Amino acid sequence: MKQSKRIFGKVLMGLLVVFFYLPILYMIVFSFNEGKSLTAFSGFSLRWYQHMLESRDMMQALYTTFSVALLATAISTVVGTISAIGLSKSRRIVRDVMAQVNNLPLMNPEIVTAIGFMLLFITFQVEKGYITMLLAHIAFCIPYVMLSVMPKIRSLDPNLADAAMDLGATPWQALTKVIVPQIAPGIVSGALIAFTMSIDDFIISYFVTGGGVKNLSIMVYTMSKRVNPSINAISTLVVVIITVLLLLINLLPLLAAKRQKKAEIGHRRWIAPVAIALVLAITVGFFSLQKGNERYLPFEGETLYFYTWGEYTGENILSDFEELTGATVIMETFDSNEQMYIKVANGASYDILVPSDYMIERLIQEDLIQKLDRSQITCLDHISDHLKGLPYDPNNEYSVPYFCGMVGIVYDTTKVDFKDLERDGYNIFLNPKYRGDIYLYDSERDSFMMALKALGYSMNTENQDEINRAYEWLLSCVRTMEPEIVTDEIIDNMAQARKALGLIYSGDATYIMSENEDMGFYLPESGTNQWSDGMVIPKNAKNPELAHAFINFAASYDGAYDNSSYVGYTATNEQVFQDLYGPGGDFEGINAYEYRTTNPNDEVFTYNEEIRKILSNLWSKVKIAASNAG
Amino acid sequence: MKRFSQLALPYIVWAALMLILPMALIALYSFTRHGNAIISFSLTLEHYQKFFTDPDFLIVLGRSLWIALETTAICLLLGYPAAYFISRSSEKMQNILVLCITLPTWINMLVRTYAWIGLLSEGGLIAQILGFFGIQDAELLYTEGAVLLGMVYNFLPFMILQINTSLCKMDHSLLEASADLGARPASTFRRVTLPLSLPGVINGITLVFLPAVSSFFIPKLLGGGQYFLIGNLIENQFITVGEWNFGSAISMIMAVIMMLMMMAVRKVENRNRGGKEE
Repeated sequence: MKQSKRIFGKVLMGLLVVFFYLPILYMIVFSFNEGKSLTAFSGFSLRWYQHMLESRDMMQALYTTFSVALLATAISTVVGTISAIGLSKSRRIVRDVMAQVNNLPLMNPEIVTAIGFMLLFITFQVEKGYITMLLAHIAFCIPYVMLSVMPKIRSLDPNLADAAMDLGATPWQALTKVIVPQIAPGIVSGALIAFTMSIDDFIISYFVTGGGVKNLSIMVYTMSKRVNPSINAISTLVVVIITVLLLLINLLPLLAAKRQKKAEIGHRRWIAPVAIALVLAITVGFFSLQKGNERYLPFEGETLYFYTWGEYTGENILSDFEELTGATVIMETFDSNEQMYIKVANGASYDILVPSDYMIERLIQEDLIQKLDRSQITCLDHISDHLKGLPYDPNNEYSVPYFCGMVGIVYDTTKVDFKDLERDGYNIFLNPKYRGDIYLYDSERDSFMMALKALGYSMNTENQDEINRAYEWLLSCVRTMEPEIVTDEIIDNMAQARKALGLIYSGDATYIMSENEDMGFYLPESGTNQWSDGMVIPKNAKNPELAHAFINFAASYDGAYDNSSYVGYTATNEQVFQDLYGPGGDFEGINAYEYRTTNPNDEVFTYNEEIRKILSNLWSKVKIAASNAG
Repeated sequence: MKRFSQLALPYIVWAALMLILPMALIALYSFTRHGNAIISFSLTLEHYQKFFTDPDFLIVLGRSLWIALETTAICLLLGYPAAYFISRSSEKMQNILVLCITLPTWINMLVRTYAWIGLLSEGGLIAQILGFFGIQDAELLYTEGAVLLGMVYNFLPFMILQINTSLCKMDHSLLEASADLGARPASTFRRVTLPLSLPGVINGITLVFLPAVSSFFIPKLLGGGQYFLIGNLIENQFITVGEWNFGSAISMIMAVIMMLMMMAVRKVENRNRGGKEE
């Protein structure tokens, strides 16, 4: 009987250990994978480690994670300990109230705390970035420190400090020489909790950061939509650092204990934090050693804040620009125009944005972007003619096109009958034959475009009935067709033929088709959205001059070639387009790369705030309906 | 001696600014309209009305609470025996096992959750293992099951560690006493061990349930783009829709629900303790 219980326990423990470590092991193994797949191991390689080391973004994230954690731990430990000592001597009512206040971040769902911080910083117009992240971390770490220090103080003899002072100690000496050593174990465990909370934090950091500052969690969250084995590499690195730290914490006291058997408890407990601090100091020092070289550079030491779509820049364009100018480019990415707009409208400061047509129109209307200084813009001549002077910015006073394209249907030619596509157009997304086999794209604009076009309306309609019918169309799609609503995940998933059909941006289709020959791209005859994204400079840009230099560079042959050949979106630089689409080009014969200008049903989005609000609310309801249907 | 009390003053100011004010701001936003200029200030209940009159939002809320409940139940069912086993091991073994369980929690949650994507995706290791047992083409990733798995994976260690702490604190002579007095192991467990470990169980439940209800990256990474829990709803309102007032109202609703639940749990705990000690 007893024996069988032990066996049950052992089996359970064994399974749990496998459960806990399998993903970590899997991740480590695949960080050495030669290929890009997360499911098939094709050979040993260090290429993702190299990729990681070369990616400043990743190194920066690692640095931010550790430096914020260290600073937040140090500050919150000191402040928390002092405040706990102070509170213990305060009146009871003060103590009780403060205990309740400290409970706020501990007992509230983290997302609520996070939103509170975000509203706080925005209300007082504190620019979001490293400092706000650090402040928020300190704020939620202090209660943990106090929670762990308080019981130790309570168990102290309340006359201890008085006794010390009677014997001639100053209050400061009484504090540092008598009280603190007595409560040291509480302080150490408080510091450890604070460090763990800070280094692991995602939700709070995600809402309070800005200006391209991100920690590891935010990086993984924003990068995870596309398969990126570098995440495995950087994760493995973190696993190694953490394991070494933990081993040090657990082994050093043992070693020290062996050496001085009679050492008092308070004494050896100090070794672990010292060791952590040492290892981390070395790590931080290592990262801060990466400095540039010397040469005359026009924008030496300046910083460009670049806010653009995820996966929207070539491999080398940023580093080339930095080498050319000496400036540092901090890139932050968004998933949707709306997400970008909310940040910018609430005062986040960037030097360059890359919004889409209708959003540029909105930013102009709301006076959020500035006119370009045409004397500094040298690149307009290279831009394809049909992309200049578009309705949202008729004289290109505000914007220079970056990429352009269409929205269409990507389909697996082995699964989808082309006749269905030709007959149904967008209504193929209601064809039960493909139930459970489709992707929708998580964009209110493009989803409603699809629905409106499927019903034969203009995508810029202001007619409430037509919008309602489009809403019904989308509802019936999500309720009966079991679609998956995705953003960038669609790229890798379609490249691996996971589903039969998907609504997609032409540039993503180009990439997919160059990865997988079985994939096709279809533009329905009922028309589509001809979009273009342009580079603009916000009113509150800190460095407009550098921004102009970047616009010129990104629109130049080299910049545009690097961007377009890497990302797959259609270049706005005419020569680059010809070279990539023409004979021998990377995208020769891939129809998704071409910009359709011949169909009279194709339209460009215009901006109307009323309609936007309606669509935005309806789309969020469609998504919830999809969630509730599944 | 009294002068030490002044040491707390800066923190009181800080806490008012960094802990109380943010909550007050959420409340303020939730009761006002968009635009939130101080001049056009007017109170409204429309956001709350919007939430409670729309069945879709209520379904999302219900699902969040339900999946958090499931997560907590599974964590308790797996965590209690595990913690019990650990507390019964030799001291050296205990240290090793506790370290084994702690180590993963030190590694970033997002990173660990991301690792499951590869394991669960089509043709991944889990699918291959299932295929070996004859279950072909099981859809694993982007399902509710995947979200549940991700939550259990992330939060189970908290449960085990909490219960284990309270089991280890327990005075073992009580067990001997119970046995000496003729209680069978099962009834010793029921009448001595279980009540004494209850504080750990309750702490564990808090530490699992709270983050499970509000989590939004686990559903997003493992549940896919159209899987909505209440956390996703709030994120969506703040990050993409831009309806901060409505988002604040949802946050308030969630905070209040959690507060009520925590109070209920504490009450159970107190009654239990009161019965045992007095």
